[in-house]
Amino acid sequence: MTQIELRNIHKRFGPVHVINDVNLTVADREFVVFLGQSGCGKTTTLRAIAGLETIDSGEILIGGVPVQDTRPESRDIAFVFQSFALYPHLTVYENMAFPLRAVGTPKQQIDQTVRRVAAVLQIAGLLGRRPSALSGGDLQRVAIGRALVRNPKAILMDEPIGSLDAKLREEMRVELKRLHVEQGSTTIYVTHDQIEAMALADRIVVMHAGVLQQVGTPEAVYANPVNLFVAQFVGSPVMNVADVVVSGADGAARVTLPGAAEGFVFPAALIDQLGAAGRPLTLGIRPEALEVALAPAEGFIAAEAHIIEPLGSHDIIDLQLGSGMIRARTRSGFAPGPGTPVWVRADPGRAHFFDAGNGNSLGIRL
Amino acid sequence: MAHIELRGVSKAFGAAQALRDVSLDIADGQFFVLLGETGAGKTTTLRLIAGLERPSAGQVLIDGQDVTGWGAAERDVALVLQQYSLYPRYTVRQNLEFPLKSPIRSIPAAEIAERIAKVAGTLRIEHLLDRKTDKLSGGEMQRVSIGRAIVRTPKVFLMDEPLSALDAKLRETLRVELKDLQMNLGETFLFVTHDQIEAMSMGDRIGVLNKGAVAQVGTPHQIYNDPVNTFVARAVGTPAMNLLPGTLQGGRAVLGAGLTFAHPGGPGAEARALIFGVRPEDLHLEPGAATEAQVTDIENHGVEKIVTLSAGGQILRATVPVTMRVARQEQVRLDWNAARVALFDAVSGRSLRHGG
Repeated sequence: MTQIELRNIHKRFGPVHVINDVNLTVADREFVVFLGQSGCGKTTTLRAIAGLETIDSGEILIGGVPVQDTRPESRDIAFVFQSFALYPHLTVYENMAFPLRAVGTPKQQIDQTVRRVAAVLQIAGLLGRRPSALSGGDLQRVAIGRALVRNPKAILMDEPIGSLDAKLREEMRVELKRLHVEQGSTTIYVTHDQIEAMALADRIVVMHAGVLQQVGTPEAVYANPVNLFVAQFVGSPVMNVADVVVSGADGAARVTLPGAAEGFVFPAALIDQLGAAGRPLTLGIRPEALEVALAPAEGFIAAEAHIIEPLGSHDIIDLQLGSGMIRARTRSGFAPGPGTPVWVRADPGRAHFFDAGNGNSLGIRL
Repeated sequence: MAHIELRGVSKAFGAAQALRDVSLDIADGQFFVLLGETGAGKTTTLRLIAGLERPSAGQVLIDGQDVTGWGAAERDVALVLQQYSLYPRYTVRQNLEFPLKSPIRSIPAAEIAERIAKVAGTLRIEHLLDRKTDKLSGGEMQRVSIGRAIVRTPKVFLMDEPLSALDAKLRETLRVELKDLQMNLGETFLFVTHDQIEAMSMGDRIGVLNKGAVAQVGTPHQIYNDPVNTFVARAVGTPAMNLLPGTLQGGRAVLGAGLTFAHPGGPGAEARALIFGVRPEDLHLEPGAATEAQVTDIENHGVEKIVTLSAGGQILRATVPVTMRVARQEQVRLDWNAARVALFDAVSGRSLRHGG
């Protein structure tokens, strides 16, 4: 049982509050991903759990035991970094055996463990090679293997595949997930890449400016972001956001973008849910929640196609609507080219409304 | 304005052959993307066109003129790199003025001011002109770097992974901005990247490089839908195209025990070892379909789910709508869109449509 618990963690580097009252419980065997931009505090938090960084206040519990004052080596946690940090003069076998030799493991047991882990990582054929003869992906497999041989209580990974090519990253992502399913070690994984986070995590922890913004399953974070930061950090292409004016007429609501002649048609229930607050509103709508047509239709408003990005399986189209652009996802080859007049509708069931002042979601569901 | 041509260009660095007989024809005003992995030779190609390297064999032509022996300064090309090399102690304006104040081009002060105002407007950096460059964010710095390339109105823009150091959201914004800029300027852009999304979304045409050789040149549509070989097939699209070894027997693709799908076949496709290429979006999970598979993993990406399946000893990846309910370990029924399946020769990896 390795549950990791963070209670009221604070950490300052001079005037910068890098970890600001972080509370989180990572369950045994859970795969949690810390997601955020560089400088958001995610790596510092990870290093604090590993014991590589002190904290100013709060408690870190591993398996129910407070460890914030213990040394890293006694926390029994493995750490995988973005840079592989392998010994260049040792073979893959010796690199993986190193942590076991360091604690005086019997030779036969070392051999068994190294070969078992190498088989799991599919690097059994590379054990006799030196790191300089390996590809980037294999180097990272060895680095992960070295972390796993000790059978640690938990594994912490800091952008472990961030330096690899896109294609290799995708393959390694699938392998990391398979490895986790097989080994079941409690894992905390840090990345700035939302695709990795969505693909790997049981739960995603979105961090910004040292503060946890949202903790939830990939589905929850994607479908119900709590604020504009999370809304625009998760999902690609990013969620469209625009300050809007909501008005009511003819038993429906109209949500109008700046400079647009017409507003998106919404159910009148929107006005009831917004109440009489009258505060400035921001609409958030993902590209796939915009429906685009090539002819006028009931409930659709006029726009013009601008840049079209063909991605093979689908297209992303920039639509000129009023004074701004919004991006929609269409099937491949849908709009013939820039300048095409189109008609667009926003799916009310997948629209988000945020308080334009503080960026918090108003939690409106239509 | 420029038309760029490479004719049979090879380049060796000592024993390492960086480029092998590369021929490219980049039309005037085109947005051309070179796509390749690290070490594929894309940066070397760019540097050869810029005049920073000399080819070991072959010719480089700009507007029909052989420039193989010319120096970088004579070629009138602008280079934008991943690492923006701005002068840190200078303001944005001074950085933009720099290429215009070179001793070999004397440009009147009024024209310099006018050009900078225009470029700053195009790139939306007017408000930054008097700021020192070390006070800028990554995206702003990259805009200034691009601005510095544009001010001198070169014949050709060469860009070496200019977006890869930026975070995802900014990369997406600048991707659209660059495409927009190229459309407005109408100039020739040669853009180098390892990111297939950048290549697909920005390129009028894409050249796929594999180990120093050109694997295929085509529009994004051609590269995605009609790859010449299995290398190109896996170079674009995410998740990558499934490549499944098998044979054609009596109107069915046989891919493993219990893993068969209907396939109309094609000339010369029967009775030989093939690889069937099927994109994840062309595999369908449908109740009642003939083939059974087990779900081994599900990635929920919000907009769609990527399902990993195991059947007949093969691993397949399919994209399904996010609303579809599917669980790990579940048995599902599977079909494919036969019209969109590509056939490759199992030995050479070449598409049968392209002489494989």
